[in-house]
Amino acid sequence: MNLDIKHLILLVPELILVGTALVLMLAASRIRTTLPVTVGTVLAAVAAGLSSYWLLPDEPKTGFGDMIVVDGYSQFFKVLIASALALVTLLSVKRNPPLPPLAKGGLGGDRPAEYHALLLLASTGMMFAASAVDLLTLYLGLELTTLCSYILVGITVEKSTSNEAAIKYFLLGSFASALFLYGIALVYGVTGATGYGAIDSALSEHGLASNKILLVAIGLLAAGLAFKIAAYPFHAWAPDAYQGASAPVAAFLAAASKAAGLAALGRVCLVAFGSEGVLSVVLVVLAALSIIVGSIVALAQTDMKRLLAYSSIAHVGYALLGFVSATSQGASASMAAAGATATMTYSFLYVFMTLGAFGVVIALGQRGESLDGYRGLAAQRPGTAALMLLFLLALTGIPPTSGFAAKFVVILSVISTGHFVLAVLAVVCSVISAFVYLRVAVMMYMNEPQEPEPSQYSWAVSAALVVATLVTVIGGIIPGSLTFWAEAPS
Amino acid sequence: MTDFPVLSVTTFLPLVGAAVILLAGSERLARWIALVTTLATLAVAAPLFCSGYPWSFDKQSSALQFVDEYGDWIPTLDIAYRLGVDGISLPFIFLSVLLSVLCVGVSWTAVQTRMREFYAALLVAETAMIGLFAAANLFLFFFFWELMVVPMFLIIGVWGGPNRVYAAIKFLLFTLAGSVLMLVGMIVLYDATPELALQPSGMLDFSALAGASLEPGLQVWLFVAFLAAFAVKVPMFPVHTWLPDAHTEAPTAGSVILAGILLKMGAYGFLRVSLPIFPNAVQLFLTPMLVISAVAIVYGAYVTLAQTDIKRLIAYSSVSHMGFVTLGIFTLNTSAVEGAILQMVNHGIISAALFLCVGMIYERTHTREIKDYGGVAKLAPGWSILLALFCLAAAGFPGLNSFVGEFLIVSGAFKTSAWLGGMAIWGVALGTIYMVWLFYRVVMGEKNSGLEGLKLELNAREVVILAPLALLALCLGLYPECVLSYLHVPVAELLPAGGTP
Repeated sequence: MNLDIKHLILLVPELILVGTALVLMLAASRIRTTLPVTVGTVLAAVAAGLSSYWLLPDEPKTGFGDMIVVDGYSQFFKVLIASALALVTLLSVKRNPPLPPLAKGGLGGDRPAEYHALLLLASTGMMFAASAVDLLTLYLGLELTTLCSYILVGITVEKSTSNEAAIKYFLLGSFASALFLYGIALVYGVTGATGYGAIDSALSEHGLASNKILLVAIGLLAAGLAFKIAAYPFHAWAPDAYQGASAPVAAFLAAASKAAGLAALGRVCLVAFGSEGVLSVVLVVLAALSIIVGSIVALAQTDMKRLLAYSSIAHVGYALLGFVSATSQGASASMAAAGATATMTYSFLYVFMTLGAFGVVIALGQRGESLDGYRGLAAQRPGTAALMLLFLLALTGIPPTSGFAAKFVVILSVISTGHFVLAVLAVVCSVISAFVYLRVAVMMYMNEPQEPEPSQYSWAVSAALVVATLVTVIGGIIPGSLTFWAEAPS
Repeated sequence: MTDFPVLSVTTFLPLVGAAVILLAGSERLARWIALVTTLATLAVAAPLFCSGYPWSFDKQSSALQFVDEYGDWIPTLDIAYRLGVDGISLPFIFLSVLLSVLCVGVSWTAVQTRMREFYAALLVAETAMIGLFAAANLFLFFFFWELMVVPMFLIIGVWGGPNRVYAAIKFLLFTLAGSVLMLVGMIVLYDATPELALQPSGMLDFSALAGASLEPGLQVWLFVAFLAAFAVKVPMFPVHTWLPDAHTEAPTAGSVILAGILLKMGAYGFLRVSLPIFPNAVQLFLTPMLVISAVAIVYGAYVTLAQTDIKRLIAYSSVSHMGFVTLGIFTLNTSAVEGAILQMVNHGIISAALFLCVGMIYERTHTREIKDYGGVAKLAPGWSILLALFCLAAAGFPGLNSFVGEFLIVSGAFKTSAWLGGMAIWGVALGTIYMVWLFYRVVMGEKNSGLEGLKLELNAREVVILAPLALLALCLGLYPECVLSYLHVPVAELLPAGGTP
């Protein structure tokens, strides 16, 4: 162990977020308005994103006794997480209406500072997960994220659905964390290590590939991570949590949380267990089932956040396709790298399109939460409806949106490693999900309005929608312009 | 040739117009902006259609002309932005820019609600049509192919008839189901030809792919994947069922674009992708394709005979007519393929004109049922004369455009097999019957009492809209060489050495 103060520079983005969170918590009791908190959080997120990009090294740099690595892979995801944090903060502005007086004991009323501090801390945990090269660091990062997420889901204490969602999420989440921790223990038992590099060399030196306990351990780790990204069959919490949580929190879970989970999963699969063939099979199953179930079950939804939850389950399946090819047995090094960058590209573009879709839900307020609220929207608010159409097309994967570019790279990666059946399955399910998304489009454009016009939304929501739109359009018209710097973990 | 990027400007000018319409925020101005944009696009595209000048199209070359290139479009995937035209794509670009102007014209009074979005969708569709025919690589082709679906979905679903939502969703799901398989096919093709990355034209370039000579086994799978997309669009029997609904429910402008351009995209795909890139698989699938085409001709014609709704009747006649096109293409016979391309242009003109005629009279009577008409000749002689012209053209009357195309296709079919020729002749005969019978029931006979008191005669705007199509039907009938001359060189290039003259 050589702890060096110079290692702290590797953690500048995390430090910025933690520092801001601490300041907010200390000042929480004095903060009465949302504006300074919002501005502070957005600035912190932007600073964290910029510093992540600025820290992008030529060579991977490890620190803190090989617990943390800073490489192209981690920084890509950190920029993504920071952007998602900034957008979610902007989208949260409408969430806090003028403050009612705080009740005694702190319950009731809104707590802008605490809400934002939790967002910041959750994002910090995600960044740690993206940088972790040790299973214990990864566990800490993920736990920090999920603990904050439990509270965020339940933060609207006066809503009983929100409480229920938080409890469900907490119970299932703790269970998943326990599985993950047990997996770590078993890995340590077999290999004597928790660091990715050490695990990898132990596996190859001692020929442990067919060790039964190791297989169980891999299964447990995969289950724990699959829970974080809400991949089938570990998805059950997502629809309830998204529906019960306020829309910005749901957006945060659907975007940032998934990106961080994918980042962690990718590094575990490719670096720690890169020599394990069984992982590829596990990933194929997770991806295929997530795509099928997410697409089909979304057909039956009438609540918009639930629909987007199932859509996010399907999308995580598409994102996993890149890792499937990266871990395939026959894959050459360049194919594996291409597979990893495909998932990175997919996550990047997906985060913005899903934040855009949630942004429209938030912009429409209460009306945006149920599917029927979209009836006749195009006649009342043509601009908002057009934006929603754009995001829906992106989620479907139709050009000229970024969704097409994203789908192209992941399907290319699975085809290059010979998974033709998986590719056909993925595109067939995309037709099913087209029906899901276009049902919303049909309601917006082809039905008569039944509800009064939604009220105007705030400048902050508009700003977030503008950013999401720009990414979705530019990522579609000039594919690769935003994600060319994606780099596989080493 | 000049340095002015004619094709890029032609392709994206309508998109700019759509943006202006959406941003200008005026319902009243929307149709004027749309008209100006489509006319300007026609004007910009004009140099493409001239020949004989040093800067104009060279008919003696099979290479792509007016090429606009930007090699670094997607450097991560080595895909270039590349547009270009040859003799095969040129007529369709002409048809696209012309029909777009007419669509704006015919919607002038017919579309009264949410005009901004309507004209914006129309212009986006125009960009997609032109872009598709100008695309020099498969990636761009697919890009525009999918882009086309969205505005058509909205045009059918928002401004269509009573059953419009069903028709729009059916249209969308059918086309998507086909095109996702094409997406997989395209990606397999990308993966199978890594060596193209080194060429300046980049991955998935049409001409580079044609020279790639893929493994025959792979070709078969790819042919099937692309067939799924093309067959839905053409549409070939038995995946044609979306077409009658979509054509019938769409507003007039939508029907015109569907029948005039969209159906040609599938057949164009066969010419641009299947024939040159999968030659071995084409040989293998020749017989089934010819049989399906012949079935489509005859089956389509019989179903057409049974229709009672004018738009539905024209829609089903398209199934039969597009059967001729695919029949001609898969005879792989030089004159029949030329005939098929000519027939695609002809059908684009005639079916568009027929839908325009029906749309114009529907605006006055609000019925499409044949039994509600009769004796229209007495009320609207001008309309009746134009309809007669187009009906005769559709029936393949000598001197009008379809005659030449059908003649070339049928003679090609006879060279392949007498049975096919016989089926085609049968289809032509049935075609004459249903078109003449339609004309008889609508225009001739006793005046239908329900039409009493209606002003059915066309106004000047409508005559101006139909006039160019009538002129084209006559010109192409009397002097088909004005289209065929573009086709000789590229078609000879296209067909394998085994192609018969």
